[in-house]
Amino acid sequence: MPPPDLSLPPAHFHILLSLGAGDRHGYAIKREVAARTGGALKLGPGALYGSIARLLELGLIEEAEDRPDPHLDDERRRYYRITKLGRKTMQLEAARMSDLAKLAADRFGRPKHA
Amino acid sequence: MPDPALSIRLYRWLLRIFPATFHDRYAGAMESAFRDELAETSGIGGLTLLWIRLLADLARSIPVQIAREAIQDGTHALRLWSLNPWHTGFAIAALAVGIGGATGGFSVVHTLFLSSLPFHEPDRLASFHPNEFIPPHDSSTEFHRWQRQSTYLMSAALVEEKDVNLGGAHEAIRAHAARVSWNFFATLGAPAALGRAFVLGEDSPGQNNVAVISYGLWQQLFAGGPAALNSTVHVDGKPLTIIGVAPSGFDYPRDTVLWQPAHYSAGNNGWATVARLKPGLSWAEARAGFDADVARHSPNRGRSADPLPRMRSLRDSLLGSSGAASLMLMAGVVLVLTIACTNVANLLMARIAGRTAELSIRSALGASRTRLIQQLLTECLMLSVAGGLAGLLLAAGIASIAARVQPPPLAALSYSILDGRILAFSLAVSIVTGLLSGAFPVLSLGHFRAFATAGRSLTAVQVALTIVLLTASLSAGRAFVQLMDKDRGFDPRGIVTVNVSLEGTSYEAGKRQLVYFEEALARLRSLPGVRSASATEFLPLYSTGFVGGRFGVDGNPASRGSTMIPTMADYIRTMGGRMLQGRDFTDAEVRSGARVALVNERFAVAFGGANEVLGRQLTIGRTAGWKIVGIAAGMEFETDPSLANSNQVFVPAERPGGFFSTFVARTDGRAEDHVAAIREAIRSVDFQVPVFGAKTMERRLNDFYVQPRAYRTAVRLFAACAALLSLIGMFGIVTHAVVQRNREMGLRMALGATPAQVRGMLLRQNLTVIAGGAVPGVVGAFLSGRFFEHLIPGASQVGFAASASLAVPLAAAASITIWIATRRIPRLDIMQVMKTD
Repeated sequence: MPPPDLSLPPAHFHILLSLGAGDRHGYAIKREVAARTGGALKLGPGALYGSIARLLELGLIEEAEDRPDPHLDDERRRYYRITKLGRKTMQLEAARMSDLAKLAADRFGRPKHA
Repeated sequence: MPDPALSIRLYRWLLRIFPATFHDRYAGAMESAFRDELAETSGIGGLTLLWIRLLADLARSIPVQIAREAIQDGTHALRLWSLNPWHTGFAIAALAVGIGGATGGFSVVHTLFLSSLPFHEPDRLASFHPNEFIPPHDSSTEFHRWQRQSTYLMSAALVEEKDVNLGGAHEAIRAHAARVSWNFFATLGAPAALGRAFVLGEDSPGQNNVAVISYGLWQQLFAGGPAALNSTVHVDGKPLTIIGVAPSGFDYPRDTVLWQPAHYSAGNNGWATVARLKPGLSWAEARAGFDADVARHSPNRGRSADPLPRMRSLRDSLLGSSGAASLMLMAGVVLVLTIACTNVANLLMARIAGRTAELSIRSALGASRTRLIQQLLTECLMLSVAGGLAGLLLAAGIASIAARVQPPPLAALSYSILDGRILAFSLAVSIVTGLLSGAFPVLSLGHFRAFATAGRSLTAVQVALTIVLLTASLSAGRAFVQLMDKDRGFDPRGIVTVNVSLEGTSYEAGKRQLVYFEEALARLRSLPGVRSASATEFLPLYSTGFVGGRFGVDGNPASRGSTMIPTMADYIRTMGGRMLQGRDFTDAEVRSGARVALVNERFAVAFGGANEVLGRQLTIGRTAGWKIVGIAAGMEFETDPSLANSNQVFVPAERPGGFFSTFVARTDGRAEDHVAAIREAIRSVDFQVPVFGAKTMERRLNDFYVQPRAYRTAVRLFAACAALLSLIGMFGIVTHAVVQRNREMGLRMALGATPAQVRGMLLRQNLTVIAGGAVPGVVGAFLSGRFFEHLIPGASQVGFAASASLAVPLAAAASITIWIATRRIPRLDIMQVMKTD
């Protein structure tokens, strides 16, 4: 019985993935996502902060009060942190994805030159 | 590299399009992210690419965020509404009145001024009124030479309207027809829907036995089939071949169902002219050409008292006075809309004042001013859209009243609100109204006291306006009752009337008309429930085409002319008239053409009274006289009061059925119940004779006074709307006062005042607003009385006392409203109120 399809939208998934490595501000998230996907997912500021607003609303992330280095930083930047609910969601998402990946690999095998 | 500051400013400006909450939280972060990106970008190409990406991003994300916040604000507004049902209901009602009124008014203006006429390039069409200028028209050749040689017209066509008997394969009907020069359809640019329009020469004798029928008549007579072409239709007995069908919706001139070629003659002066301007010529140039034409063809014009002939656009001449009337209506509804708008603003301010506590908490929590404004405007838009939807009902009402007061001049035009453009207008007005009524409270944030004063003055103005309109509706209502109950010298109750026309039928020749009428009357009189029956050539109310002259007694002419009314026997009794002396005609007298006559009282008085003239000779000129066998109270034939009760003489009809003959029957019980039987009895005499206008006399009165009736309805509707709006205004200011003076009232109650006393105080204070509006209102009603006298026939000035007494029910309704608005006072928790401040 496969788990129900609760897949996160790609933007949400990648934002949470970035925050898993520590608190980040928006622009940092954006750059990390772009690097990780090889430029395939470019989050414009509207899409980025729209997703952030939605994730805040869902309680998957929160704003971090303490800034890594307030003196070096633009005070208007906001830092975000993944919540417990966010971690739990990512665990479920990772499990779901690996189940799907395993299923696909069983059916189709792995590529020879990988 | 261009100045990065410019890019940043531009981006910052674009970020403002985001809704308030999102902007407040993320604009700063987005801007600094933008700075970073900018720092990493180099060259014009890079910058351009960056901007393209950013614009695409904004175009996607802004609508998403707006929708999100709008849904939040909408939910918030719905919660507020359910907490304040009265407030919300009143606000929606006020907006419904305003927006509905504006939509109704616009539907009329739109139809008359903006919708297209069913002609080709209608704005190049002109028209001359027959009373002002008729082109040379003694013969087809003469007319067409004139129109072909015109320096300013591409073509011109003559039109004459006439009611005709239309005999088809089955039975005859009465119809409105037009006689036109052959180029009528070509000039208007209306191609035939089937067959063809008239062609060159078809308005010459010998070639003119052809007709074009309307789309409606085609459906009615031929079920829209091709068999119509080359069929024969009898127009006043004359056979014409149908050559074509006019396009759907084309019934110009008004209600025409059949067009036949013009019959030219020198004496005819009923020709209207429609014309198309020469291409490239401006209206001013064409008018100059027209003026020169008029000077050449009728040099005496302009010297007389007659108005100078004018060339009007066809649209202007179709509109006539209804154009100005509809613009006045539009001005009125815009006024109502403004009042409604300010009322809603008033209500909203009351609510905001009540929410200041909530608002200050929210702003402490970070809800910005912009956010609050956005919330308020969302609520206003929701209110006005709800009001706009409810207002469509009122709009439909206005359109139907307008259709009765000033019917549209063509079938293709109708006042309908179910039209994309009208609905779009309604939506646009709703949005603008919503934004405007929200703008006041937004501006007033912090200036409540000044706006409260403004609200009170505004309500006083509305009270004044309400009294003016209520007075007008009283005066219009009275005028209408007087109009309907007036003694017209006959009793409309119980009378059934039916028209016939013998034109073109086999009865027209010789003296066979009387044969037909006698037979029809015999059948009528034998019907159960018919007490008496007669016929006349001129029914009261239908004064067109009276004949008459300087009748007198024994060769001495009266000082003024009399109208002559040919009737069948028993006419006065059947009409419920009063015979003062003598008797009606008998059947035998009518049949034999006896030289007998009746005169009316007014005529008799001029010759010494009823006793003096009975039995003497009625004379005109040198012709042999008629013996006066009776004197009757005059009947009102004219609806214009200044022409009413002229000298009248009644003579036996010799050749009835020619012009406008009407059977009249007095019945037992409800006249409506007998209409069908009476109509059938007359029809059964000969199916080839068109029988039409079968209706009760009361119905004719109603139809005749449809305009004053509609005026009465309109004035009442406006008065009701004004009253509703002033009550809503009252509710707004009182609610506002209750909230504003919370602390004062708490204090009063803490000092021992009962809630009832506090409410009584508010009641007294706000009734002074009513009084403050009532005084100028009564004066205004008096001053505007003359205007309404002018507008509504028969309306007369309503006295000061009556107009002032209208303030009483208004004050009573206002008191109830105030009591509702203060209903929360008994529930005020005094300690709570004292603590909050």
